[in-house]
Amino acid sequence: MSLRTDALLAAPPFRRVLVANRGEIAVRILRACRELGIETVAVYSDVDADALHVALADHAERIGEAAPRSSYLDIDAVVAAGLRSGAEAVHPGYGFVSENAAFARAVETAGMVFVGPPAATLEALGNKLAARRGAVAAGVPVVPGLTVALDGDPSDPTLADQVADIGYPVMLKAAAGGGGRGMRRVDDPADLADALAAARREAHSAFGDGTVYVERLISPARHVEVQLLGDRHGGLVALGERDCSVQRRHQKLVEESPAPGIDDATRAAMFESARAVARTVEFHNAATVEFLLAADGSHYFLEMNTRLQVEHGVTELVTGIDLVAWQLRVAAGERLPASFETLAPRGHAIEVRLYAEDPWNDFRPVAGDVTAWRMAEGPGIRVDTALTGPAQLPPQYDPLLAKLLVHADDRAAAIARLRRALDETAIGGVQTDHGFLRWLTDDPAFAAGVHDTGLIPDRWGAGPALPAAAARLAAAAAREVRLSAKTNLPPAVALARPGDSAWARAARREAVDR
Amino acid sequence: MSGFETRLTAAPAELVEPEPGVALTWLDEATGLGRLSWPGGSRLVVVEGGGTDWWVTLDGRRIGISVQSWRERVLAEAVVSATSHGGPVDISATLPGMVVAIGVAEGDSVVEGQTLLTIEAMKMQNEVRAPRAGRVGQVAVVTGTAVAMGALLVRLVEEEAAPGG
Repeated sequence: MSLRTDALLAAPPFRRVLVANRGEIAVRILRACRELGIETVAVYSDVDADALHVALADHAERIGEAAPRSSYLDIDAVVAAGLRSGAEAVHPGYGFVSENAAFARAVETAGMVFVGPPAATLEALGNKLAARRGAVAAGVPVVPGLTVALDGDPSDPTLADQVADIGYPVMLKAAAGGGGRGMRRVDDPADLADALAAARREAHSAFGDGTVYVERLISPARHVEVQLLGDRHGGLVALGERDCSVQRRHQKLVEESPAPGIDDATRAAMFESARAVARTVEFHNAATVEFLLAADGSHYFLEMNTRLQVEHGVTELVTGIDLVAWQLRVAAGERLPASFETLAPRGHAIEVRLYAEDPWNDFRPVAGDVTAWRMAEGPGIRVDTALTGPAQLPPQYDPLLAKLLVHADDRAAAIARLRRALDETAIGGVQTDHGFLRWLTDDPAFAAGVHDTGLIPDRWGAGPALPAAAARLAAAAAREVRLSAKTNLPPAVALARPGDSAWARAARREAVDR
Repeated sequence: MSGFETRLTAAPAELVEPEPGVALTWLDEATGLGRLSWPGGSRLVVVEGGGTDWWVTLDGRRIGISVQSWRERVLAEAVVSATSHGGPVDISATLPGMVVAIGVAEGDSVVEGQTLLTIEAMKMQNEVRAPRAGRVGQVAVVTGTAVAMGALLVRLVEEEAAPGG
């Protein structure tokens, strides 16, 4: 007798799917495949051979060395793994090759289905400047600024005048951008030349394209995005919005749905703008249209992503829709049900991202190993992670450790649940943003839902000084352990020395092992 | 139990009086995960370290604590006085990465906090700043150099005393 219940389900959208990613998102997609009765193929680099996504998959294919360019970004290696394993479709997750038109084309050319939009759509949207022009053509408001690249020598007075006409402060953005890289705020015309050079350099090194454009800085503003789902038959639904205003380095740390404090008219206008932008391209996938929402309620198009977002889970919690499952189903040609059109969100969901980074040091990434690991559990909690315990963190990849999501009846209850969940969370070995997130749950502006994208610089700043009570408790804990019968904790832990970087510790451990 | 002194590791290494009446119960001793309880409440903590040097993670914040006997204290002070001279300072890479910009040249005078160079690591541009004022004695890398953790980047030397200063 089979343990599987496939026979009870509708036919799976695909027989076998390759997941072209790693970490928590690979795990998330593998789980959706399992639930749909799809066989799974994981890919892994040398340092990921023992990773959770490999353990959870039916098949696993090695695709190269640790460096992303030699494995997860290697289009030929990933496509070859798909062909070798007999995959019918490839789900790219987010990041890596998820928005790479050449990858989408290579997958389709090899006879597999790309779980994402057509390559031409990725090309059109991958250039943020072209997408900006597309939005203008669709009658959707964009942030005031130029719709052409900021070419030429910044000391050229014509260029300086063009920027001055927009009105300082301005934001410089990479046309090929994403993830906040290549973005620079410029407050003073005197700083334009340096900022432009830095933005071009960062854009070139991150994306291989140094094209930069300029927009007026909208401040204060909130970052609100609309989740869309489209099928191959013209079906297109807006599945609510997410507020992602808590950001550092223009990258999201906290996302929630519904967005606090926006009225139905604003929401409806944003949904309409999102659909209008989406109709400018062909896609059959999950997609997100991002907006800046100004204090006066007007919204401005920022960008559209036709892939799964990191923060898709908050929408899943309030809508009950499995976005990853629907990505696979629409990729296989299924129609979206009519019920999605009229779906009302239930309750309130918040996601916080746990990163190996130091909020008391400008949220800089911290390299090292996780030596202790405890995640929250219980009612209304979802944890998306690829860690199951202490682990070495490969320095080659994104320092995201886990996404902690909570769902409750309303926003106040969700914040209370988040606070409880963070108190049940413990991570040792590296500084994480856990301390910032715990602080956030007690921040009055966040609690009132009146915060904007300036929350971290304005309210957190360099972070609060260590409270005397916390210092006394920590001192008591350390003395207690030192004086207790056990002389030392195990070597892996005992090798840590305050003031050490995790790198120094890793090097010392290597020296010890040698 | 007395004779041990607890201090914050971070400068200026303030003395901290341990909270009285605190009990630590291990949840997973192998990884240093425990529950700290005291008359006013309780928290999950992670305690790492050994000997005199410890990290305690409390409310998501890693707090460095040194726990020293008087003998260890005397020894540590001797080491500090031997190394706190005003000689050259070597600035090394704290993350492996790629040098993407260099803002100083040999012979330049720099002020404390001035950006010396930029390293791209973990998808971020990290500015390396001068830990104190001085003169650039050596720039050990060029733009495009891939640096390992700990690799020498810049050596700062004492600023020569200005005439009459």
